[in-house]
Amino acid sequence: MTESRELDPATQFKQLYDQEYLSVYRSIRAVVMESAAAEDLTQETFVRAYRARHRYTPTAPPGAWLRRIGINLAISHLRRQKLARFLPARLYMAPDRRDYDRAEARDVVGKAMAVLSPKLRAAVVLHYYDGLTREEIASVLGVPAGTVASRIAKAVAIMRKTIGNDQDLDTTRSRSEGALRGR
Amino acid sequence: MPYVEDKTTRGGFSSPSEADVSRMIRAEVDSWTPRRGPDWPDILIRIASSGPSPWVIYTTASAALAVILIAAFLVGSALDLGGLGLQPAQVHLNH
Repeated sequence: MTESRELDPATQFKQLYDQEYLSVYRSIRAVVMESAAAEDLTQETFVRAYRARHRYTPTAPPGAWLRRIGINLAISHLRRQKLARFLPARLYMAPDRRDYDRAEARDVVGKAMAVLSPKLRAAVVLHYYDGLTREEIASVLGVPAGTVASRIAKAVAIMRKTIGNDQDLDTTRSRSEGALRGR
Repeated sequence: MPYVEDKTTRGGFSSPSEADVSRMIRAEVDSWTPRRGPDWPDILIRIASSGPSPWVIYTTASAALAVILIAAFLVGSALDLGGLGLQPAQVHLNH
C-alpha cells in the first residue's frame, strides 16, 4: 500500500488503476464472496474514484482511499441484494447469495470465510492479507479502531472453530472410509 | 451389511492457531484472481456513458428547490396570495 503513495489520482489515474486493481478486487471479493460481482464492482469502484479524483486529499494512501470506496460499494451491493429478497420475484430477480457462497467456497478456508458476515470478512482480509493496522482499517471502514479489533477477534474465533470442526469431520469421514475399504 | 466405524479416536475439535488462520487467509486470498483482469477501455466506456455524479445532481436539485421556494414566497407576498394575503375576518357585532 505504501508504494502507491507517490501516485496522484488526479494526474496518474491510469497507473493507479493498473497498480491497485488486484488488491481492490480482492478486498471487494472478500466482502461479496463472488468473483463475477467482485469484478464488476471493482470496475465501478474505479469509475467512482475517477469522478472523485480531484476531491482526493492525501491524508491516506490512494490504495486505502480506493479500498474504502470499493468496500462501501460492495456492502451497498449486498444490502440491495438482501432487500431484493423481500420484493416479489416478478419485480426483481436477484441471485441467492447463499448459492454463490456454496458454489465458490469449496475449500475449508473459503467455507470458513463464507460463514463470516461481510464486515468481518473485510476486516480480516485487510488485516491479515493487506497487513493494515487497526487504525488504517478503521479509516478504510469508517469505524472506530476498537470496533475493528473486536471484529478481527470475533472473525478469527469463528474461523478457528469452523476450520477445526471441518477438519475433524474430514478426519472422521476418512477413517470411516478407511474402515470400509479395509473390510 | 457393511460395518461402518462411527467412533472418532480423537476427542473435541482441533482448532488451528491464529497464525495458522492468518496463513490460511493469505493463501486463500492469493488464490482469488479475476477472470478478465484490468480493463481500462471498459472504465472509459463506463465513464462516458454515465451521467453527472450524484453529488452534482443533489447540489443542483437543492439549489433549484431553494430558488423555487424563495420565488414562491416573493410572488405570494407581492400578490397577497394564499396564506401570505389578507385574511377575511368575520366580525359579529351585537346591536
